[in-house]
Amino acid sequence: MKIIRFLAGLFFLLSFPAVSATDWQSDSANSHLYFAPSYEGMAINGAFKQFSTTYQTDSQGQPDSLRVNIAITSADLGNSDLNEAIGAIDWFNISDFPQAQFISEEFSHSGDGAFLAKGTLQLKGFKKTITVPFRWQALSEDSASMTGELILSRNDFSIGTGEWASGEQIGLAVKVWFDVVFTASKTHL
Amino acid sequence: MGIGNTSQQWGWLSKTLHWLTAVLIFVQIPLGFYAESLKLSPLKMDIFVWHKSLGILVFLLLILRLLWRIKGTIPKTVGASLIQQYLAQAAHCLLYGLMVLLPISGWITSSAANIPIKLFWLIPLPALVGPDNALKSLAAEVHEISVFVLLAVLILHIGAALHHHLLLRDNTLKRMWF
Ligand code: HEM
Ligand code: HEM
Repeated sequence: MKIIRFLAGLFFLLSFPAVSATDWQSDSANSHLYFAPSYEGMAINGAFKQFSTTYQTDSQGQPDSLRVNIAITSADLGNSDLNEAIGAIDWFNISDFPQAQFISEEFSHSGDGAFLAKGTLQLKGFKKTITVPFRWQALSEDSASMTGELILSRNDFSIGTGEWASGEQIGLAVKVWFDVVFTASKTHL
Repeated sequence: MGIGNTSQQWGWLSKTLHWLTAVLIFVQIPLGFYAESLKLSPLKMDIFVWHKSLGILVFLLLILRLLWRIKGTIPKTVGASLIQQYLAQAAHCLLYGLMVLLPISGWITSSAANIPIKLFWLIPLPALVGPDNALKSLAAEVHEISVFVLLAVLILHIGAALHHHLLLRDNTLKRMWF
């Protein structure tokens, strides 16, 4: 009797249409993560040359989890002197904190294809809750793009300490924006 | 004294531009060495704002000066041999050239280093070139060599002015003064 109930249950489960969650993996050659501090109110454009992103959507194609790993050591402000300067202990302190990470599992819908990812940014030893707005657009059957822009305050992460902390020459607000291309790496039940 | 030059006299516009530029150059040279010697700090950045702003001012005054020079006459060189006249002219040409080369090479250095410029904390200048490490080094090299050429020519220039004034006792320096 038990075995029949079990088989019936199994049959019941399998009789649902196949719905699948999807794992998406960023395609590093076509993905960009930019940042722009400001000097006397003028933007200095830079980028993190190495980062990777995984993203999961549920059976409805809705966001499930987002994970971004950033090599802070790859920060590039377009000039070797500047790059050396921002690696120093009072800025990114890359020898102690070479990596940053953003993890979100809490999403809300904010419009057509637009979402807000609330999560934790771990940067220079600090963990802060931030909200990252992004737009998700299908490019083909198994590729999609994620774009967005946000402003972070560098003092929240003690980036630019001491005499830099006033934000007088180098502004406190840092613009971060991204254009990431994903490919669907696997789908599962 | 009129605004314009005559064949004997410098007018007040040329005089003012000459001495204003001279003061700026005498400030610029120590300011540049000082700015470079500082380690990266807000002070260094502020000193560089002054250095870049005054340097661009030199360039703007120079444009005015050359326009005025092309438009008007200039006084004849006094009491000198033909060779000395040519030397004086060559030195003046070189000084004008350096007043172009220094600001432009400085501006390129700054742009290639991806550092934007805001004159006197007020007026943003466009970047002349995009970020480029090799070009930045090259432009900084040109800037530095120009500084040493400038110092050498200035020693000659000021020496010659003093020579006219103290030894030849002619009015070369007097007619450049007010
Ligand atoms: C104490 C410093 C200086 C003295 C005593 C001085 C003196 C003079 C004198 C007397 C003249 C007139 C020459 C003539 O009438 O034939 C002259 C012309 C000139 N000076 Fe100076 N000068 C000084 C600094 C400078 C500086 C720093 C610069 C620029 C970097 C400069 C650039 C020139 C130029 C380009 C001319 C030629 C003007 C023309 O022909 O258009 N001088 N200077
Ligand atoms: C007009 C006359 C100028 C003079 C006499 C002058 C002089 C100097 C001197 C003496 C130095 C230190 C030695 C060196 O490394 O070259 C220097 C450095 C520098 N100047 Fe100027 N400068 C002038 C204009 C400018 C302008 C207009 C700019 C930028 C818009 C500028 C940007 C710089 C920079 C970025 C450095 C550091 C170079 C490096 O990284 O090695 N300068 N300048």
